[in-house]
Amino acid sequence: MTEYLLTTENLHNLVRQLIAEATIYAPINTAGRKYLEIVSPNNIDRIDLDGFRTVDTFKTAVFKISEQVARYFGQEEAAPIKKQVFLGIRACDLEGLSIGDRVFLEGDITDPFYKRLRENLLLISADCNDCGPTCFCTVVKGNPYPTRFFDLNLSPVDEGFIVEAKSEPGRALVDKYREYFNSPSDYMTREKNNNRREIIKKIANVNAAFHLRLDLTQTHKANLENKIWKTLTKDCVECSACNFACPSCTCFLLLDGAAGPAANSRHKVWDACLKNGYSEVAGGANSRPRLYERLQNRYHCKFDYSFERLGRFTCVGCGRCIDGCAGNIDMRKVFVELERQAPLTAKLE
Amino acid sequence: MVCPSNNPYRPIRARVEQVINETGNIKTFVFKPEEPIPFLAGQFMLVTFPGIGECAFTPSSDPKVIETIEFTIMKAGSVTAKIHELQPGEFVGLRGPYGQPYPLKAYHGKDVYVIGGGVGLAPLRALLFALNHEIDQLNKVVVRFGARSPQDICYKGVINSWGERKKTNLLITVDSTGPGWTGHVGLVTTILDENDIDVKNAVAVVCGPPIMMKFANKRLLDLGFAPKDIYLSMEKNMSCGIGKCFHCNIGKYFVCQDGPVFTWEQLKDIPEPW
Repeated sequence: MTEYLLTTENLHNLVRQLIAEATIYAPINTAGRKYLEIVSPNNIDRIDLDGFRTVDTFKTAVFKISEQVARYFGQEEAAPIKKQVFLGIRACDLEGLSIGDRVFLEGDITDPFYKRLRENLLLISADCNDCGPTCFCTVVKGNPYPTRFFDLNLSPVDEGFIVEAKSEPGRALVDKYREYFNSPSDYMTREKNNNRREIIKKIANVNAAFHLRLDLTQTHKANLENKIWKTLTKDCVECSACNFACPSCTCFLLLDGAAGPAANSRHKVWDACLKNGYSEVAGGANSRPRLYERLQNRYHCKFDYSFERLGRFTCVGCGRCIDGCAGNIDMRKVFVELERQAPLTAKLE
Repeated sequence: MVCPSNNPYRPIRARVEQVINETGNIKTFVFKPEEPIPFLAGQFMLVTFPGIGECAFTPSSDPKVIETIEFTIMKAGSVTAKIHELQPGEFVGLRGPYGQPYPLKAYHGKDVYVIGGGVGLAPLRALLFALNHEIDQLNKVVVRFGARSPQDICYKGVINSWGERKKTNLLITVDSTGPGWTGHVGLVTTILDENDIDVKNAVAVVCGPPIMMKFANKRLLDLGFAPKDIYLSMEKNMSCGIGKCFHCNIGKYFVCQDGPVFTWEQLKDIPEPW
């Protein structure tokens, strides 16, 4: 594995070059919190790769809140597409993106709109060197630093960033802008590895109260018919912030435009499984009419069904659902309660 | 304007050729798509009413006929209300076919017990066409169909002739009788009889409203059917039809990909899959 040193100054130089050829999304420090913004010459100096994930999720740039996906029945032309760069995307968001990839790109039929955006996306990720009070990637088998799915990864050290090139597009970028990438000293690599150990410890401390003994899939299966879900849902107000803030939630609805310029067009629009109408069919039948059934389905979707469908959890432990919850529902507390209940309900396999 | 080639969200235009009034709230539409859309019995398609939206239906016509395609549709919501206003010469959109068809080869050499309720007869009509094409490979086909009243029976002009097809037996029941009805009165579960079929060498195919499917399934299990031999056509809210949008999940399954035809063996461990 070849590593490079990229100073902060050279990172800014690199970004200035990339602005000309791509739309760059990066964490921008605004009043102490980091939000995703499109990078321009005016905000380069506020790019902030310290700390942990942004408030909002990168998925918005490949799985758009609303996107026209058809116009019937006339001829359609594909619009040109601009390259996008996700700078400073964290391990949790990379995992979330990889789940979107599996949903939209795998199977007999792929989503050509997602595919087009994804094929024109460069991922320059970054290690976390801090964590928030709701970060819990390690609880769901993740890490606070990227190990896969990135093109380039930046690990912060005193002199700037240690860069790892993972993919062909990542190596090509380094080759193209070779003058910005220097050779790191051994002590810098040691610093990087030490930082990684420290952040793992820090997340462990933050989540000390949520130590789980059992496998989450088995815990969920054991509680499939447990009415504890009614209690766990009592503070949910169905706002669906958890769905929309989640980097791996990919539910959508196809909506057709009736009049004006939107007439006979079809839009793919974010949807939320917590909403009452989500499963309702014409005539009024609803397979999950009660809110607790829908919240439970969301958890099973991420920890039980996803394991059967994709062989992995589809929660990445970013904690945005906890931050965004109007009812202060903490997924980690739900895990602990489910685990406490598990031996009382079904037999664990 | 964006549209990559092979856009799965874009419907094919189809002309309304004929509209047949079946009952007070059910019509059959004969569509002629601009390009043929071959399908297998049990697969579904998404029908677009332009500018309003789309709904999933299983075609009710003979899968061997590909120039036109028929759907028997009950008026139940906003899209179907608009579809019911369609006149010949107007246009709809079609996407599909999607999902798993009835595995007809697995029915060869067996009795096929076909149980329908209400507009659930629509997909079964396509199945009965398909079964009739392969009737020499089947032991027999026994059809048991329930409607709310005599007025609510679809395919009135032709349905009785289905019972006259080779190796096929048909019995219809109504929940409540009406003028001129001399047939059976009672829920469809009351006419499911162990003497109809050789349970040990039979498969059952059920399609109807969720409550009917639930009780028909229970009755079939009581008759001795193995869960793997009961085929159920499941209906859930569907949007994309291609396994991406997550709306139609029943537990770990997506109705649009893994179904819409499921065996009870697949569903039996899921609480209230109906």
